[in-house]
Amino acid sequence: MLRILKLIVLVPVLAALSLMLGTGDVFAAGRAEPWQMWFQPAATPVMERILEFHNLLLIIEVSIVVFVLAIMCYIIFRFNAKSNPVPSKTTHNTLLEVIWTGVPLFILIIIAIPSLKLLYYADKVQDAEMTLKVTGNQWYWNYSYPDHGGFAFDSIIVPNAELKKGQPRLLTVDNPVVLPARTNIRLLLTSADVIHNWAVPAFGVKLDTVGGRINETWVNINKEGDYYGMCSELCGVNHAFMPIHVKAVSKADFAIWVKKAKKDFADVEVPAAAKLAQADAPAVAR
Amino acid sequence: MANETTVAEAAPAKAHGNGHENGHGHHPTGWRRWLFSTNHKDIGTMYIVLSLVAALVGGAMSFLIRLELAEPGIQYNLFWLDNEAAYLQFYNVLVTGHGFIMVFFVVMPAMIGGFGNWFVPLLIGAPDMAFPRMNNISFWLLAASLVLLLIAAFTQGGPGTGWTVYPPLSNAEFHPGAAVDLGILSLHLAGASSVLGAVNFITTIFNMRAPGLVIHRMPLFVWAILVTAFLLLLAIPVLAGALTMLLTDRNFGTAFFDAARGGDPVLWQQLFWFFGHPEVYIIIIPAFGIISQVISTFSKKPIFGYLGMAYAMVFIGFVGFIVWAHHLYTSGLDVDTRAYFVSATLIIAVPTGIKIFSWLATMWGGSIDFRTPMLFACGFIFLFVMGGVTGVALANAGMDIAFHDTYFVVAHFHYVMAIAAVFAMFAGFYYWIGKMSGRQYPRVLARVHFWMFFIGVNVVFFPQHFLGMAGMPRRIPDYPDAYAGWNYVSSVGSYLTTASTLLFFYIIWRTLRSGEKVAANQWGEGATTLEWTVDSPAPFHTHEDLPDMREKQPAE
Amino acid sequence: MRKPRNKNKKTAIVLFSAAAGMVGLAFAAVPLYQLFCQVTGFGGTPKIFAAAPTASMATPAREITVRFDANVNAGLPWRFQPERRTIRVRAGTPTEINYRAGNLSDQTTTGNATYNVTPFKAGEYFSKIECFCFTEQRLKAGEEAVMGVQFFVDPAIFTDPNTQDVNEITLSYTFFRAPNRNEDSDKKVVSRR
Repeated sequence: MLRILKLIVLVPVLAALSLMLGTGDVFAAGRAEPWQMWFQPAATPVMERILEFHNLLLIIEVSIVVFVLAIMCYIIFRFNAKSNPVPSKTTHNTLLEVIWTGVPLFILIIIAIPSLKLLYYADKVQDAEMTLKVTGNQWYWNYSYPDHGGFAFDSIIVPNAELKKGQPRLLTVDNPVVLPARTNIRLLLTSADVIHNWAVPAFGVKLDTVGGRINETWVNINKEGDYYGMCSELCGVNHAFMPIHVKAVSKADFAIWVKKAKKDFADVEVPAAAKLAQADAPAVAR
Repeated sequence: MANETTVAEAAPAKAHGNGHENGHGHHPTGWRRWLFSTNHKDIGTMYIVLSLVAALVGGAMSFLIRLELAEPGIQYNLFWLDNEAAYLQFYNVLVTGHGFIMVFFVVMPAMIGGFGNWFVPLLIGAPDMAFPRMNNISFWLLAASLVLLLIAAFTQGGPGTGWTVYPPLSNAEFHPGAAVDLGILSLHLAGASSVLGAVNFITTIFNMRAPGLVIHRMPLFVWAILVTAFLLLLAIPVLAGALTMLLTDRNFGTAFFDAARGGDPVLWQQLFWFFGHPEVYIIIIPAFGIISQVISTFSKKPIFGYLGMAYAMVFIGFVGFIVWAHHLYTSGLDVDTRAYFVSATLIIAVPTGIKIFSWLATMWGGSIDFRTPMLFACGFIFLFVMGGVTGVALANAGMDIAFHDTYFVVAHFHYVMAIAAVFAMFAGFYYWIGKMSGRQYPRVLARVHFWMFFIGVNVVFFPQHFLGMAGMPRRIPDYPDAYAGWNYVSSVGSYLTTASTLLFFYIIWRTLRSGEKVAANQWGEGATTLEWTVDSPAPFHTHEDLPDMREKQPAE
Repeated sequence: MRKPRNKNKKTAIVLFSAAAGMVGLAFAAVPLYQLFCQVTGFGGTPKIFAAAPTASMATPAREITVRFDANVNAGLPWRFQPERRTIRVRAGTPTEINYRAGNLSDQTTTGNATYNVTPFKAGEYFSKIECFCFTEQRLKAGEEAVMGVQFFVDPAIFTDPNTQDVNEITLSYTFFRAPNRNEDSDKKVVSRR
């Protein structure tokens, strides 16, 4: 009976699972697709490792759920009042109790080892070739490039009415942040007001920006392309409308862009207070 | 619920389990009976009514949230607000209010105040709670607190901070006006109510058990309430302290959490979650207790591994105090700190595993009646396991980078804590409504309610795993179009859930109005605990002569 | 009630004391947390030394890069920048660098600076001797000022296995508007929303 149940439940689940895992690289864009059921494809070594670790976790999770469900189904069929009119009086089984304490402990160790490895890997400081400074504001991001002369610019959502064809709603900004691919980039994050969170799912980056202190993390984007994210800490009424758009380009293109950006944003070096007028602007999402 | 208790009074006093007439006839009637009540059953009933009222408000809020999210775009024409900024703030207030109300005014009052008050004295053979008048104060503080919170929601835009109230967003600078202050006061009252209740429960359970009912023979629901009361006693004061600091930061120029003046906003997160994590166990541990009673009753077997079950709860409660920073993995914590919290958090899977397997082992070999309470108990196990395994995933700080603040987290905690707790509440309701009202719920409708609710909540929350993995952040009123599909499914599920909740209210009405009368022990041989030895409905006074438990078999 | 009421009262008193103790603990957490951060460098809190490092601390030439970062909170109309972005320093050797601040408004304003270093684990090896952030800074309308900071990196950073990967430390400041100190009419400047 148990074996049959296992077959009935486990096989389709594993099949569906492999299908889902296999379709991972079909989505090329650095944002979600309609009806997406899975992570966005990894664009950094950290995210690759997160996905790898999650594959292990998922197998464990599904096995536990299926195992418990199978036992429950068996109990429902076998031990309902009709099938089993006389209840047993068993209330102890030391061996069983030791097993169901010990086995979970063992599974947790199997999880904990790669988990801590991943944690320390993501935290390990790489020798960064450049630095990007990110400042959260209500409700837009400000980016600056301290290693390239310190030019800075704001990245503000494009209202729906002004979207061009092909630009995704709520993800498009006026000035995307441009970064070189295959480069170790140090990210320094802070906020000019409330706590925000700079998150790009494809990068495996998600870190609070807290006013009065700086947080540090790093990325190394392995492929040119457009990557999108959204603010991930409730920051007020327009929390949903401060997207992140990272344009990853080759190192050569990046150098060209920097030259242009230095000119374009030469006069943007305005202190935060002077930008208050922009924050006063009404919600721009629609 | 006033109706059926009046029925109870009118019913002629019969001989009781312990063969004594109860002292009836000289308790207050009319509004005095309720306002000045010192009777644990009346106060329990009031708690349950409060919970039902709050559930309507909190449920309506979640329904509005799902309406907004049913389609991409801002659905603000659904509401009376014509100004978009006001609407977006209103949405954040809905998110905040839904959290507060469901936690503090639905689950806690129903499980601890409601079932706890009703059944802890009955289950331990005590005539009432240790401090009946304090019990009354606890309830009315909570009622006042609910009113304050509702006022806060409609004051100057309301508190749109999320239930976590993180400064600086909750500071005077970003939430000027009285809304957040009123919210803080409301939580202070709710906290005071909880601490008084906790002292009352612990004292009752420690000092007033029937002779022979040693601590290792107490029913597991009593164990659960005892552990919960200790969590309340130790966690709520920390929230009270932190809220006071926030209040003085906002109004009296202190700088506990204000970076501009030497404070640290992350300290709030530490203090809040030092309370917040035990709080989720405050919600789920009473659920463990109810589920244990129900499963044992309908399997017609004593609980399997009684001591393991009891001490698993104690252990969960203890570990609950040393894992709080797993809510702060993306706040910018030192890596070694995160590594510690990963390890500590994973450990929780062991006692919860013991509980799951002990429930299954209790059912194993039983002769199970799948009555409605048992259906809800089985549903609880499924939901709790589902939410539990995603919890194991979220415990890993490295993995949490992908999940933090996404809909995956929303799916996780609704499965493991919110909906699971509601399933336990329904299980408890159907299990004990006969004892409380003396009437049988309509059986077929109750089954329909179970299936509608079970399917409904799974349709709501399962797709949210997909949304979270695909990267949709939580607490947003509008989302990129790619997330439209699963959001639509989720919203459809919420319509079904809402319908099933309305059905539940109809079931309550039907039960109280025209339910069949039930016997003292309506569940038969499996129901071995003390509440089934007194009449249904339970008389105004019970256990005036303490039942003697020295002769009885130990609980296991 | 069969049990003597005294026993209940005693239990309740013990329990209420525990609850009161927890409130006390919440407040005690504030200074304890600060102390903890300063002692362990938690959250990238640098150490503060009253005097320069002793000679014994100076070691053979191991160098490390220090990056300087500057922020101004939205409430303060100042410009604030380091004079240089990065510097290579020898561990154990005190180094002084300058930041420049300018008041862009037409009123006198006072600011005070918060600070931390990243990576956080480097906090306990980063010591400040002298810093403009130890006191409030006041700038008249349009005034510019040079603000110095003197620091050194503890050579122990090279021997701690945890910090082997640290080749660059970022020192970050954020200037906030100080609470009102009889400045001339600062109400106009605080124009948030």
